Amino acid sequence: MAHSLVQDLESDSLQSLAQAQVGCDFQISRLEGPGCDQLRNLGFCESIQVRKLANGRNLICSVCGTRVALSSDLADQVKVQPTDS
Amino acid sequence: METSNDLIALAGNPNAGKTTLFNALTGSLEKVGNYPGVTVSVKQGEMRNSHGKALELIDLPGSYSLEGGSPDQQIARDVLRGENSKIPKPDLVVCVLDASNLERHLQIALEIIELEIPVIVALNMVDVAENAGLRLDPVKLSEELGVPVVPIQADKGKGLVELKQALGHPFPANPETRWESNDAESRRAFGLEVANLAARRSEAHTSTVSDKLDRILLHPILGWVCFIGIMFALFWSIFSFAGIPMGWIESLQDWATGLVENAMAEGDLRDLITQGIIGGVGSVVIFLPQILLLFFFIGLMESSGYMARAAFLMDGFMAKVGLSGKAFLPLLSSYACAIPGVMAARTIDSPKERLVTIFVAPWMSCSARLPVYLLLVPMLLGGSEGGAMQALIFLGIYVLGTLTAFIVARILRGKLGPDEVETHFMLELPPYRFPQWKYIFRHVLDRGWAFLKNAGTVILGIMILLWAATTYPKLDSDDPGEVLSHTIVGRVSAAIEPIVKPMGFDGRTGTAILTSFAAREVFVGSMAQLFNVDEADEDTETRNSIREILAKETWPDGRKMFSPAAVISLLIFYIYALQCLPTTAVVARETKSWKWGIGQFIFMTVFAGVASLLVYQVAMLFGLA
Repeated sequence: MAHSLVQDLESDSLQSLAQAQVGCDFQISRLEGPGCDQLRNLGFCESIQVRKLANGRNLICSVCGTRVALSSDLADQVKVQPTDS
Repeated sequence: METSNDLIALAGNPNAGKTTLFNALTGSLEKVGNYPGVTVSVKQGEMRNSHGKALELIDLPGSYSLEGGSPDQQIARDVLRGENSKIPKPDLVVCVLDASNLERHLQIALEIIELEIPVIVALNMVDVAENAGLRLDPVKLSEELGVPVVPIQADKGKGLVELKQALGHPFPANPETRWESNDAESRRAFGLEVANLAARRSEAHTSTVSDKLDRILLHPILGWVCFIGIMFALFWSIFSFAGIPMGWIESLQDWATGLVENAMAEGDLRDLITQGIIGGVGSVVIFLPQILLLFFFIGLMESSGYMARAAFLMDGFMAKVGLSGKAFLPLLSSYACAIPGVMAARTIDSPKERLVTIFVAPWMSCSARLPVYLLLVPMLLGGSEGGAMQALIFLGIYVLGTLTAFIVARILRGKLGPDEVETHFMLELPPYRFPQWKYIFRHVLDRGWAFLKNAGTVILGIMILLWAATTYPKLDSDDPGEVLSHTIVGRVSAAIEPIVKPMGFDGRTGTAILTSFAAREVFVGSMAQLFNVDEADEDTETRNSIREILAKETWPDGRKMFSPAAVISLLIFYIYALQCLPTTAVVARETKSWKWGIGQFIFMTVFAGVASLLVYQVAMLFGLA
């Protein structure tokens, strides 16, 4: 019971990269969806830090020092939380 | 591929600098660029290690993972696993990793280590990584991975001596895997841990020059202004600036004709040289500057890193026709030549999108069509070259071909249905770099040389055959028309004329179209020869521009032969017809089906014929005769 409550609270604090604010740093918490493998190949992995640089049909972000453009469908599958800093 | 030397493979992520390293080690000048997916096939060369021993080196297409991926990535996977029928399993793999992004690049290195082949890591672009604030520790990386690590800067030739020493015998032993199990999850966790130890990233995100440039070049409005500006500069330079060097070639051609005419007595041989060789081949060679400029601009975009930005900007537009931004690059390359364009489609993940891209790529007006357009367009403007109107018509031609390609792509994509596995747009935007001039110029010269070689072989051969066919069998008559109709060409023309007349062409134009199925640019030379025959006796006239001669041609009833309706009809035919056998062969190879290659050829030729017929008939109705 307590465990599921923790999970729910954690999920509430997560947002997708598509919804995240431009110009901010985030940490990837989870990847969920059919595009996970494609995302992981380009460096989107759990615990990695990502900075969102631009919004749009395809959004731009910086991950591991590389700029990557990805469709908002894919960005929806990346769950992030703000970094502590 | 058979070799007694040890086989070394260069592998790694796309855009890690494998081909730059390959060129540096082998002295080759293979095409390099600053975007993922420049190398789509295996390149091979020979190098020597520091002991002078010869080694066979192969450059594999970049791959993010040994699982799945687009066809170019599958090639790399098959070779590394020893499953390629033509290339044996490598004796050693040099994993080329971008030091500024070890978290990602290490993943494929770990997959390769699992294959139990000796591995050496070439840690490339260490300068870029250090400038980005990373603290690299190659010794730690080597300890953690259990394989030799050599820091290099392939583009500046640094670290190559150390790499060649590392390639000395005996090769390192097969590495052991140091992660829990051979699955993606364990590899990922291990890779991140190692990257954290060996390439510590500073916490603060620093804004680089590329970030600043992207703020403008990828801006929703400014980005498009820049994109349109760059495209305008590209086409303006081809259609306007190129006129200067074209004038030089023309003068050279006139000088050579004059020289031969003064040195030789009148006769068949002199006619062959002046009309067939200098006139025919020269009328094609004159377009060399435009072809060089087109390849130069595309090379510049590829080398600087802008090509990936253009693909990003175009994605939204391409999605409307069922394609993605990844199809932009193959289609843009096809403006230069459809063959590299069709091959570049290998980087598209979706199999159906790839097929559609390949199918419509030849409708991007390639450089071989330029000579035809440049001959015909001024005829719509009273023979004058240059000017805004000509540029506008050229733009219209390119837009028409492209739009038709997009409409057909949309229909075909709808008919093929969705992919079995859904793919999404995702593209690495590499940092901007100064163009590698050496490779750009080499690539441009290679393409120019290929064009000249084609002019010197295929086109020269056809010109000589055509000259013979317009000269023999001879008839002893003073009427040039009667002489021509007695020759082989005269007879072929008479047979073709009923078919091509509804499209607005006479038999000679029909014959010129037939000859251009060998290579489109032959059309100009063929027209020069076929229509010069009548004027053969008037020596000065033969040197006149082919356009002036065509403008004087009339049908037997006195109507102008090259009326606006007929010229537009001809242009339409050349915009749509697929007159390039090498393209058909490459399409068949890439789609692994002759059905697609031949189907595309028939479809485009029939489409061109019907479109040309309709346009001519409608134009006649509007009084453009």
